[in-house]
Amino acid sequence: MIEVCELTKRYGTAVAVDELSFTVQPGQVTGFLGPNGAGKSTTMRVILGLDAPSSGQATVNGRPYQRLSRPLHQVGALLDAGAVHGGRTAHSHLLSIAASNGIGRRRVAKVLGTVGLEDVAAKRVRGFSLGMKQRLGIAAALLGDPPVLMFDEPVNGLDPEGIHWIRGLLKSLAAEGRTMFVSSHLMSEMALTADHLIVIGRGRLVADSPIAEFVEQNSRTDVLVRSPAGGQLAGLLTRRGATVTAQTDGGLAVTGLDAAKIGDVASAHAITLHELTTRHASLEEAFMDLTRDSVEYHADVTADTRKAA
Amino acid sequence: MTTMTAAMPVRARDVLASEWIKLRSVRSTYLTLLVAAAAAVVVGYLVTHSDVTHWATMTRQQRAAFDPVSDSFSGLGLAQLAFGALGVLAICSEYTTGQIRTTFAAVPRRRSVLAAKAAVAGGVTLVAGELVALATFFTGQWALSARHLDVTIAHPGALRGVLAAGFYLAVMAWVGLGLGAIIRHTAGAITAMTAVVFLVPTIIHALPAPWNVSIGKYTLNLAAQQMIAQHPTPGYFAAAPSFLIVAAYAAAAIAAGASLITRRDA
Repeated sequence: MIEVCELTKRYGTAVAVDELSFTVQPGQVTGFLGPNGAGKSTTMRVILGLDAPSSGQATVNGRPYQRLSRPLHQVGALLDAGAVHGGRTAHSHLLSIAASNGIGRRRVAKVLGTVGLEDVAAKRVRGFSLGMKQRLGIAAALLGDPPVLMFDEPVNGLDPEGIHWIRGLLKSLAAEGRTMFVSSHLMSEMALTADHLIVIGRGRLVADSPIAEFVEQNSRTDVLVRSPAGGQLAGLLTRRGATVTAQTDGGLAVTGLDAAKIGDVASAHAITLHELTTRHASLEEAFMDLTRDSVEYHADVTADTRKAA
Repeated sequence: MTTMTAAMPVRARDVLASEWIKLRSVRSTYLTLLVAAAAAVVVGYLVTHSDVTHWATMTRQQRAAFDPVSDSFSGLGLAQLAFGALGVLAICSEYTTGQIRTTFAAVPRRRSVLAAKAAVAGGVTLVAGELVALATFFTGQWALSARHLDVTIAHPGALRGVLAAGFYLAVMAWVGLGLGAIIRHTAGAITAMTAVVFLVPTIIHALPAPWNVSIGKYTLNLAAQQMIAQHPTPGYFAAAPSFLIVAAYAAAAIAAGASLITRRDA
């Protein structure tokens, strides 16, 4: 289990993580979602004791990371697959990490097999593709057979076969009862693998809910209505509790009443309808809506639009 | 999931084993040591051979100041840079690639990592340094024997000079490691190291007397020269205090690195 409690991390005057609190439970894949620059990697670095928090704290299995003994047996992490000395062979790279926590050669051979790199174990990492480096990073994370695993953007750089492989791996590791904490900036990817979602934007918590609940709450639907008597219809719908927004092209976007009820209202008042369409916003759009205010690098961002989401 | 082994702390022996694997699994280790050995032996030979050739035309003062041990170590100036680079690379290659995060995640006690690097790099460079020093000494004495200017290793002060030369090379690796931990960039750390051994003595040499000597005797490579020399230069420290000064540079560099390593984000 990973617990983050009122965590704040500042770099000079820039706030990377802002009073962030959440808990990552074992036995499921928890997706850590946010646009680029939202503070995902910073949060993970603080959890691993690499960056010191400005305030607040993060614990793994109830203890600050620095106080874990032989941490590879408790937490496995993949932060940056490229962060490897290119002159070392895959085997030597893993062996050097393993040795520091008293892990033997047999385990190194085993994880190389798990990630499918046994054939290139004696090759220098410099010649590896990004996908192979991702696999090597995952192998390193698995060395200590830890109950908690943390992957930062593990899908990056993988080919379709690799993506399929990692989805299966994440689910099977979670099924073994492990705590799986996986970051991504792609909602679509998380929708496929995560059981639970923690969404952050600009270092702040935006959502923390099971994926099903998140989908239900955020895949907003509305009804597009076109009618020559738009003004009259809008009044009638508003009186029945609907929210009506006039579109620039003359259509009405209606929420709070479904298409059937809108049709009934129109029919009861003999109003002609030219269009009556139910529209579903995708999860991707929901994610963008949710984090819109918190995207760091907006085209039109100004100081006073920097409102928290 | 092996929660049973999780109760055990990270052991010093394991961190040492890890650093030993890292050092022996990259080519740069072998390359820097090879370059250092070649530079020390070849330059040492060229200088001793040249002195043999010019002995007839040397003045009496030049002949009196001639030190067959120091003379054979004329290539140490190049070898010291290669040894220093080995120390720099032992830590900066991790900072440059980002692998330092993996290392610190595996061993959160960062000073243990630095201590293990110092022990492993120090051990390897001490052995390699002494071997280079012996090879350099014997090659130089062989060249000097053409005019019977050579001394044997049993000559008073000769063995001390050889051991001191090897020790100095290991100190350069430690200084490099310490500077690497402080600066965290390969190029920057190597530049700083070069400044310590080349730029500082040049500046001090330009100082008016007696400052050039009274400050110069505390500099790393002038102290190292006294440690190796058969007879100390007037105004400078003798071999034993010079040895302490050289060792202090290594200790100071590592200590400064150790104090910064826990304070900064990885």
